[in-house]
Amino acid sequence: MVESIVLSGLAIGCIYALIGITYNVMFSASRVFSFTAGTLGMLGGVLGSLFIARMGLPVVVGFALALAGGAILGIVTEIVAVRPVLKSLDQHLYVLSTLALALIVQEFTAIEWGTDARPFPRLFDLARVNFDQQFWLPMLACVVVIVGLELLYRHTLVGHAFLAIAEDSFAARALGLPERGLRMASYALAGVIGALAGFAGGEMLLAFFGNAPMLTFYGFVPVALGGMGNNRGAVIAGLLLGLFQQAANFLVGGIFASVAVFTVFILVLLARPEGLAGASLPRRV
Amino acid sequence: MPITRRQALASAGAAALASGLAKPAIANSDPIRIGYLPALTGPSSSTGVGISRGTQLAVQELNAAGGINGRQIELIVRDTQSDPTKAVNAAAELTNQQVNVVFGPLNSGESLAVVPLLARSSTLQVHPCWVDSLTDPQKYPMCFRNAPTNQQIGGAANRYVVEVLNKKKIAVISDTTGYGTASVNAYVPMLKARGADVVYQGNVDAANPDLKPELLRMQSAGAEAIMPWSVNAGFLSRVINTRGDMAWDVPICGQTTLGSGQTKALLEKPEYWAKVYPNNFKPVCYGPGGKLPDRTTAFLDRLRSAKVDLSDTLLWWVGVGYDSPYMFAQAIKAVGTEPEKIVGYFNQMKSFPGVYGDISFTPDRHNGYPDDEVVMVEANSLKDGAFNVAPGYAA
Repeated sequence: MVESIVLSGLAIGCIYALIGITYNVMFSASRVFSFTAGTLGMLGGVLGSLFIARMGLPVVVGFALALAGGAILGIVTEIVAVRPVLKSLDQHLYVLSTLALALIVQEFTAIEWGTDARPFPRLFDLARVNFDQQFWLPMLACVVVIVGLELLYRHTLVGHAFLAIAEDSFAARALGLPERGLRMASYALAGVIGALAGFAGGEMLLAFFGNAPMLTFYGFVPVALGGMGNNRGAVIAGLLLGLFQQAANFLVGGIFASVAVFTVFILVLLARPEGLAGASLPRRV
Repeated sequence: MPITRRQALASAGAAALASGLAKPAIANSDPIRIGYLPALTGPSSSTGVGISRGTQLAVQELNAAGGINGRQIELIVRDTQSDPTKAVNAAAELTNQQVNVVFGPLNSGESLAVVPLLARSSTLQVHPCWVDSLTDPQKYPMCFRNAPTNQQIGGAANRYVVEVLNKKKIAVISDTTGYGTASVNAYVPMLKARGADVVYQGNVDAANPDLKPELLRMQSAGAEAIMPWSVNAGFLSRVINTRGDMAWDVPICGQTTLGSGQTKALLEKPEYWAKVYPNNFKPVCYGPGGKLPDRTTAFLDRLRSAKVDLSDTLLWWVGVGYDSPYMFAQAIKAVGTEPEKIVGYFNQMKSFPGVYGDISFTPDRHNGYPDDEVVMVEANSLKDGAFNVAPGYAA
């Protein structure tokens, strides 16, 4: 039982963490919480299944096309749902605009792909074992994203520019950084990460349009618990969420597991409103 | 000679009297209009498309044979697009066109919206939807169901598990949809009334990727059979896959979707489909020896000669679609097209011999499908849209 809790919990926790990072990457570039994050995850699974299982493309090609699909949706999100509302961030109109776009994409997927879950292909022709690819693929994807983002942010000029925008977009623009281009690039990067989450977790989650609200919801928990914009916090909180959820599934089961998860979530936020790893920001007066 | 007002009135009166007294017997050659509300597009369309193949074939056959009492049948089809709102609009349009009878909608979600509307306009309706509340001779006196109710579906599954398989410790699981939770709430007391011990009862989010905790809980509670109630192929396949991965040899009995192609496509191994028994209907199933009933064999031959494709559908869908126009035809031949007279005929109808099943109604019972024709089948035996009856019935 412990092995099952750890394997499933870590795998689903990695998917939540990746969706949390997707939220954060978009947030850092725009101060907007885009609720298309879970939709990107759903799309990664659906596009992977479409390209590999239905169209018969090689896994590498299907993988690249699924990530490209995520990047395109990320860019569309920036253009359609984020850019028009940036001037009035304090009114939080982005909640409506990004949710609306997420719903449009979700319903379009339901119409074109169908409302039934469809199989996601096994990516590697390996025998099924306890530590199966459906568990280690999300873990591997999570490690690759964490390492990749660290390298990007710390060792590349573009990464430094991303950080500058995240830190203070006005100052960055005053220094001559192309804020709009960098924001679009951030959204494309977020799209790739979100699609990667859904692709790597495809065998667990299946290619199902209904995964979008589930990932949007559970992917937001690591962000809130880990501190907004804090990727390390999102990863730790995502893994803890996955493990706790799976343990609750074993111990209380059914819908009560969700109740347990959100009870703990609320208690944590009551105790630390800034999140477990977040720092409380001083307020200007 | 000028005609006075008195002469004109007298002539008109005489003409009216004469026409009333000596009306010539001219046969009505207007077509008989059947309103039809299938979901031909959208998420519920697989059922609608399957049923439509049977309905269209029956109407073609009836018209080719001269129609009903010499009148051709006009099938007025409106695609509900799997959307209750569109179904309501289509039903309103059909009542405006004064159709003789409405067949459909073909899924419960749409029928829940349409049945009260057609009742208000006193339109005769027959539908094949399962939700129990969709017939009520008091509230909807002109509405009839030529398919089983959810009570019959659950009852057949419970009967098979408890009395045929002789399993007494049962795990009942569903997704968190209205259908799933309502099914569990309805079927658990029925199981207990049959003397079964429900050792596990739960509702789980259909998107939950890991059902192992639930199945381990069932196993540790001593469950001897699993009864899942959901129309979500992803959820059902996870139940089947988890049982297979755990190498747990218990039967799974429940909703018809357990035997669907979508569920099959999601199985990790084909052999995991063994000992999975979904609901189905005896007249359209292979009995012991792999034979269909004679009536159904003849129907299959007709389908083949009409080149009706069965590779992507189920025989019972085509069967209920085929039977319905013939049922109307029998009633109209006997009593004409007046809706009240057809209702009176249906209220006395005994064992209409359909391919899908023998349909009987009474004034107090508008659910026409017989209990004993709802059976369980072997999910992995699908051939020509039909399944083998599950083991144990023949004994």
